[in-house]
Amino acid sequence: MAAARKRILKEYTECSNDTPPGMKINFDEQNMTEWEILMDGPEQSVYSGGHFKLRLTFPNEYPFKPPVVSFKTKIYHPNVSNDDKGSMCLGMLRPDAWKPPNKVISVLHLVRTLLIEPNVDDAIEASIASEFKDNKKGFEKTAKEWVKQYAK
Amino acid sequence: MAEDTTDDEREEELSSIKAIYPDELIVDPHDPFSASIDILVAPATPLAVVFPHPVDGAPPTTLPPSPTSQLGAPPSVQPKRDIHNLSYLPPLRLQLTLPDGYPSAAAPKFRLSTSPPWIPEKLLQKLQKEGVGLWEEYGREQVLFSYITHLQDAAERGFDLGEDRVLELSLDMKIGLLDYDIKTKKKVFDQGTYDCGVCLEPKKGSSCYQLPRCSHVFCVQCLQDFYNDCISSGDVNGVKCLSPGCGQEKEIPGVKRKKKPDRLLTPSELLQIPLETAMVQRYVEMKRKKKLESDKSTIYCPRTWCQGAARSKKYPKITDLSQITESDDEASDDETAVEEKANPGKDAKPKGAPETDRLAICEDCNYAFCRVCMQGWHGEFVRCWPRDASELTEEERASMNYILAHTSPCPTCSVPCQKSHGCNHMSCFQCKTHFCYLCSAWLNADNPYEHFNQEGRPCYQRLWELEEGDDGNGNVHFNGIRGAEAAAQRAAQAAVDIQNQEIDAAEDQEIPPPAPEPPAPLVPAPVFAQPNGRQAANQVPRENVRRNPRDPGQERAAHGGGGRYPLMEANQMGLQRFLQLVRDDEEDEWDSDELEDEDDEFAIPER
Repeated sequence: MAAARKRILKEYTECSNDTPPGMKINFDEQNMTEWEILMDGPEQSVYSGGHFKLRLTFPNEYPFKPPVVSFKTKIYHPNVSNDDKGSMCLGMLRPDAWKPPNKVISVLHLVRTLLIEPNVDDAIEASIASEFKDNKKGFEKTAKEWVKQYAK
Repeated sequence: MAEDTTDDEREEELSSIKAIYPDELIVDPHDPFSASIDILVAPATPLAVVFPHPVDGAPPTTLPPSPTSQLGAPPSVQPKRDIHNLSYLPPLRLQLTLPDGYPSAAAPKFRLSTSPPWIPEKLLQKLQKEGVGLWEEYGREQVLFSYITHLQDAAERGFDLGEDRVLELSLDMKIGLLDYDIKTKKKVFDQGTYDCGVCLEPKKGSSCYQLPRCSHVFCVQCLQDFYNDCISSGDVNGVKCLSPGCGQEKEIPGVKRKKKPDRLLTPSELLQIPLETAMVQRYVEMKRKKKLESDKSTIYCPRTWCQGAARSKKYPKITDLSQITESDDEASDDETAVEEKANPGKDAKPKGAPETDRLAICEDCNYAFCRVCMQGWHGEFVRCWPRDASELTEEERASMNYILAHTSPCPTCSVPCQKSHGCNHMSCFQCKTHFCYLCSAWLNADNPYEHFNQEGRPCYQRLWELEEGDDGNGNVHFNGIRGAEAAAQRAAQAAVDIQNQEIDAAEDQEIPPPAPEPPAPLVPAPVFAQPNGRQAANQVPRENVRRNPRDPGQERAAHGGGGRYPLMEANQMGLQRFLQLVRDDEEDEWDSDELEDEDDEFAIPER
């Protein structure tokens, strides 16, 4: 655990020196295994103009187990679960795909990239994914409405 | 130039060289103008060397397009090749002597050598001459530093030895050279500093470990933590290189590779990290278990308390960790795949197993059993049937039901016997064992009736029960196996019906409602106190109950379920337990004791 804290601290330093665009990390040294991330919807995406709050939770086994990413702000997105958890589980965030040398900074980049380009082949919300594929206009409309409703 | 300055020049040169190579240059204590220096040989591209194969019987393999080099190696006769790429070779030792008159009047004397002598003598002489040539070229000036640099450059090029041909060396140098290479690599590695990708700390090489297959480096602490965690939590598939994407890029599209792209670490690698032996042992065992479990042809011990896997050549039981090698793992992986391909229907038809392959031995409890009928090993010459209930036809199942309901097994050979008439003292037609028809207890041939004359025993005074024969009509209370089976059968009747309809579901079948009360102990038959009269009374009371005499102490779980224990005592508790066993193993009873229903036979031969 001591090693985990040391690493989290190091990663925080790295992230704060090189924060992905539109992101802000609220870091609490008393509780460094929970990061609060404020993120602006990327301009080139339908989430543009929205402000999203995310929580990044590090498990005790970190970095052997992946950090857990969850959207605290509701978001209409195929890769974010449409419930009060707002959880994400894809790519490197999958427990079986996570490798200890993966870093938070790449997790943050992944999240940002997904807002710009959702990954419909690995969707947690199948209905949103199929809407994204078949009726992109409808998807964009709902996503923007949600941004207005929840992410202002 | 004045004579007396010469000394100064030599001294000056050596001291400046000493300043450049403080550790390397060693001045001869007896001669201030003699010194030696070891020049590291670490070719920029590893030097390929070849040793003749120790067993030189195989026909020589052809060389790669052989060059006609100046050294002129005859390419025709080549021993079998054993090529190694060496990153470090034993140093080139330069021994130098600066004679009186150096540098202006006398040439320096150079002697080059290596131990072992892996550089060809010709080449050494050439290099020595180059030193003197350099001295001439420089206009007979101080030449040591230039010469050392010249040799270093040559060493970095591997003395051009690997340029157009592979360096051939004699076999006796092999160990020395390989050892030097490995040790130097280790030394260089230990002196280096590496950023561990897990704890993100820079670590000294000596506290790091480099994975041999992919060369990724992590610190020992992180590797230990991670792999110990994986193994303790049972996630053996996590025991691979931690680096993201490691091993995946090596897959060449279009090239079929059975091997998984990300390979698990071998036990020997884990031991080198080092992980504790007990942990590695656990890893190896879990890996093996997973393989056994994923292999559908694995057969498990029929003893319910054991259920170990049968011994198999494919997955030999692990006794010594050091014997586990990577190649073993790969071989067995491949084998499995091949075998599965070759016998797609193998699992569906255990019948197809060759007769000679039927013997299976449990690796855990050493129980020998037949892999077809799952009974204790019956020898090569007994016909037997698969134990799977679904393999039996309606008719066979009906026969089986009848056999279970209307025969008693011999306690010695288990052959079902049916009494057509007479007393309950039976003599097995097959093995001549004397036994009691009511409870299958083994009887002393000298005094078989003692069994029926012991007061308080379940069969007391019951010699003549069922005199008219066992046609299933008599409401007779059996003990032992029969008793257990009879009760169980009634209890399981509903289950059996369902089973007949839904054979597939049979295995997972819910246990039927609790067994009805076992029949109350029978009131001793009043009349036949002294059946047959003779020999019955006044015998030394000796109970000869043999539990499964063929393999004492072994539960005959496969045969007739767990219920085939001759249960001598009408112990209600014990009986309940048997009922449970019998019901649990219901389908085990549709077994190999395939019989003809010939009521007038005293006992029915096993087919």
